Amino acid sequence: MSEGLADGVGIVRAEHFESVAQQREAATLGIWAWLITELLLFSALFLVALITRIQHPEATVAAAKHLKFWIGATNTVVLICSSLTMSMAIEFSRMGWQRAMVRAMLATAALGGLFLVLKGYEYYADWAEHMMPFLADRPFALAETPAARLFVNLYYVATILHAVHLFTGIALLLGMTWMAAKAGFLSRHQNWIEVYGLYWHFIDLVWILAFPILYVVNR
Amino acid sequence: MTPSHESLQLWPAAVSATATETDLLILAFTVLTLLLTVPVFVAITYFALRYREGSEADRSPSGIRSNLIEISWMLIPFLLTLIFFVWGARLYIHSRNAPPDAMVVEAIGRQWMWKFQHPTGQAEINNLHLPIGQPIRLHIISQDVIHALYLPAVRLQVAALPDRYTDLWFKADKTGTYHLYCSEYCGTDHSVMGGEVTFMNPGDYQEWLTHAGAQQGKVAAGRALYEAYGCAGCHEPGSAVKAPSLAGLYGSPVKLADGRTVTADEGWLREKILNPNGDRLAGGGKQIMPSFAGRIPADELTTLIDFLKSYSSPAAGKAADATPAGSTR
Amino acid sequence: MSASGSIGGTARREPHAPESTIGRKADYLHAESTLRSWFLTTDHKRIALLYLASITGFFVIGAVAAGVVRLALVVPNGAIMTNDTYNKAFTIHGVVMVWFFLIPSIPATFGNFLIPLMIGAKDLAFPKLNLTSWYVFMAGALFTLVSVVLGGVDTGWTFYAPLSTAFSNTWVLPALIGVTIVGFSSILTGLNFVVTIHTMRAPGMTWFKLPIFVWAHYATSLIFLLATPVITTALILLIAERAFHVGVFDPAYGGDPVLFQHLFWFYSHPAVYIMVLPGMGVISEIVPAFAQKKLFGYRFVAYASIGLASVTFFVWGHHMFVNGQSDLASLVFSALSFAVAVPSAVKVYNWTATIHKGSLRLDTPMLYAMGYIGLFVLGGLTGLYLATLAINQHIHATYFVVAHFHYIMVGGTVLAFLGGLHFWWPKFTGRMYSEPWGRVSALLIFLGFNVTFFPQFILGYLGMPRRYATYPAEFQLLNVLSSAGATILAAGYIFPMLYLVYSLWFGRKAPANPWNAKGLEWETASPPPTHNFLTPPEVPRIPYDYPIQAKESRDQHG
Repeated sequence: MSEGLADGVGIVRAEHFESVAQQREAATLGIWAWLITELLLFSALFLVALITRIQHPEATVAAAKHLKFWIGATNTVVLICSSLTMSMAIEFSRMGWQRAMVRAMLATAALGGLFLVLKGYEYYADWAEHMMPFLADRPFALAETPAARLFVNLYYVATILHAVHLFTGIALLLGMTWMAAKAGFLSRHQNWIEVYGLYWHFIDLVWILAFPILYVVNR
Repeated sequence: MTPSHESLQLWPAAVSATATETDLLILAFTVLTLLLTVPVFVAITYFALRYREGSEADRSPSGIRSNLIEISWMLIPFLLTLIFFVWGARLYIHSRNAPPDAMVVEAIGRQWMWKFQHPTGQAEINNLHLPIGQPIRLHIISQDVIHALYLPAVRLQVAALPDRYTDLWFKADKTGTYHLYCSEYCGTDHSVMGGEVTFMNPGDYQEWLTHAGAQQGKVAAGRALYEAYGCAGCHEPGSAVKAPSLAGLYGSPVKLADGRTVTADEGWLREKILNPNGDRLAGGGKQIMPSFAGRIPADELTTLIDFLKSYSSPAAGKAADATPAGSTR
Repeated sequence: MSASGSIGGTARREPHAPESTIGRKADYLHAESTLRSWFLTTDHKRIALLYLASITGFFVIGAVAAGVVRLALVVPNGAIMTNDTYNKAFTIHGVVMVWFFLIPSIPATFGNFLIPLMIGAKDLAFPKLNLTSWYVFMAGALFTLVSVVLGGVDTGWTFYAPLSTAFSNTWVLPALIGVTIVGFSSILTGLNFVVTIHTMRAPGMTWFKLPIFVWAHYATSLIFLLATPVITTALILLIAERAFHVGVFDPAYGGDPVLFQHLFWFYSHPAVYIMVLPGMGVISEIVPAFAQKKLFGYRFVAYASIGLASVTFFVWGHHMFVNGQSDLASLVFSALSFAVAVPSAVKVYNWTATIHKGSLRLDTPMLYAMGYIGLFVLGGLTGLYLATLAINQHIHATYFVVAHFHYIMVGGTVLAFLGGLHFWWPKFTGRMYSEPWGRVSALLIFLGFNVTFFPQFILGYLGMPRRYATYPAEFQLLNVLSSAGATILAAGYIFPMLYLVYSLWFGRKAPANPWNAKGLEWETASPPPTHNFLTPPEVPRIPYDYPIQAKESRDQHG
């Protein structure tokens, strides 16, 4: 792995590892294992959404009509762009271009922020349309089809869980950018960028799964 | 009819052909279990004695290829147990498909009582009377959480689900009174949600339907409601809450906190159950009873009040009642 | 190498490591002694002891709750406590024992301590993550503990909807949140083990030189990684439903309560193997050591661990034969359950065959191992009764089930835990425990356990449903017998706590390898130095390199 790196880029070996290669391998395997568990977490949720759709097709379609398709589609594009900037950051880190890397990371965080803003606006529009059945003081727009509640609520659980992951991701990214802007970072912790990049792509992947399952197939 | 189980038995009564076959299946399975485990116990004990450290024993390698042993002791038990899989599956499929001519009894589970309705309209709470020699299909649903109706005498149980019907069918061929349980944990009074199932000759069953089922069962039904709605939990003597006893209350004068005295007639009892905050009692007790308005259907309220009318004292209440829910025999 | 007469009494080869390092700065226990050095440690051995202390505490709480349950059932009419108190007591027992004792028990303590030692590594791959998962575990566990003990929860450890979401008015919500948090701790521990076993093995330590203990923990960790996320989702949905009336499982909105059971058992059935596989790993270390003989069928046992961990993902439906599941699904799940139960039950034949022609010493760990073999085979085969569809319709949710899984969980996991605790106690602490007391306790536990739980098989077949605060009077005799057994069992549990703690200060100092056992953990001092090995350990030619080798070793390790 290390052969693709520029001079002065690398990692410092922790005491309990025998070699840098071993340390890199452990970090990569660790993040993949973590991402698999995360993927299963969301998969179970999507599975429940699909079961709901099979059990109550009409109610699910009625509810899905209220989802803001274009906001969802725009957000998909936003996240794909952010994955691109994250990939650029990783590439810059390998080449040792620290300034470019920091800028790419900031751009990634900004795109993530844009996603959250759009998502927040979508929630506001849902609220305005009385599409929040869990609010006691706001009657549900589709009260006559109780099963619509199921889908709408699953939509909130899934998207909020995704938003929590994204929010955590942005916070981590900004913290890491702050550290990565300091001199010598790339010679000590270059693999942090690689490992973090996998997490960011994962957040993107979850949305790419969520968008068709929630927005597209039910239209 | 006396219950068929006064004291400890080592084998439960079986009243249907399916139950008898289930017993046979389990007996045969037990033989197999012994066949597979006893050699292990014997071998461990024997080896532990014979191959103790320092003992004079032959420890030379046995020369048997271990792969062969491994495969045989995995496959042979597995194939033997597969016989039981097939047997059990066949019996299960049989017990899942009720014959079309089965008599259908509706069963409704609710925290914490069972309500049964016979095809002719008679209803029972917690107890069930059924004829023998005829297939019976119980058509089961729950009104709240998941329960399960369990009849050990026919070796069957099935969940009572809140969102869809489940079925349980059997054909009893022996008369007698046996336990009827809820077997899916359903909250506080899970263990008293049940009663007895009585299998009767068809003639006796018709008799029961016309007389007991309609008349005498009513007090028992009322008492079951009295316990199922939690009235007994507070109003029976010895309860932690120390609510006033309801025995003999009907028709007696009641002193109220505002100085009036009223007679506890039917209308007053009804009003007090639905709106406990009205007509505070004299004596300064704290009013903690919840309102039952909207929680108890009108016909059940009538049954409950009929029971209270007949309830003279706690002891008499128990004695008058043929089959109290959850009481021990 | 074969011989008749005494083998093993005299060590075949002396360990390389120095005899004892107690009191020297070098060993991990005495390297530092401040509280801070314990609570902020990243040493896997110290973290293992943190887990050991905490799960022992949880075990005591769970055992007291079990005592309350057995006390209530001495009389049939519920005169000793109210139904609500009884329900809360069995919920405490189930929640604490399953989530906070059984699941972390062997992996988080022995696994944490021994995996790096056994593979010749200095630590786990992610030491800080290891400490984090202990803190996550404690946070979740204490959160739940406060709600089940002080507040009271009456749903049982299974939290079935809609009882838990819409009907119970006890402290269900905080209990659920705590259990969800503990799940993350399991995931992090499993992740750490998987990465460690993949990447941290000493040079020359190939996969088929790993002890079965490590194989079993590898399989367990895969289950942690692949099953725990699903229970997290199920619990998140349950929390959302209880707190915000989301209604996924609520029939009032067209939701499906049985869906919760599917998600729940998709995790909780594999979780059975989270509890069972590490126990099998422990037994596979103890039996060869006390027979001074190579484990019979090493490769089979190793593959079986992974095989069981895989098949166990496809049998969850056998918990729902009577819950309105389709007949076809029930048939498939029943068949698959047979496929998984038989191979796991016949593992006992491997241990029995290992004893054959060995040179046996019946010390405390071996007594526990032999008890385990006997009880586990009974527990496994009674599981087949439950997997048989027609029998299940009768004994589902009766005391037969209670007896069955206690034979697996107590007869299996707890005995393996105690056996392993005595086996590795010298390695953990550098002290020997009192052998006579150890043997007496092991026999007491075996006796007490059988008196407690065997009658429950009969109770179940007679038709006594589980989770009953009151019961028909004809069942009283067997219940009193069961409660009497529980008091013997309790005594058996109390003794080890006393003499093990006593040995910490007054026990004889332990040599590096008191049992003449094989495995890299015995090549270093007792207790080991902070980084485990002073000189890189020499990996043996074959695993379980004991004096007595069966002929098969040539077939399998050419």
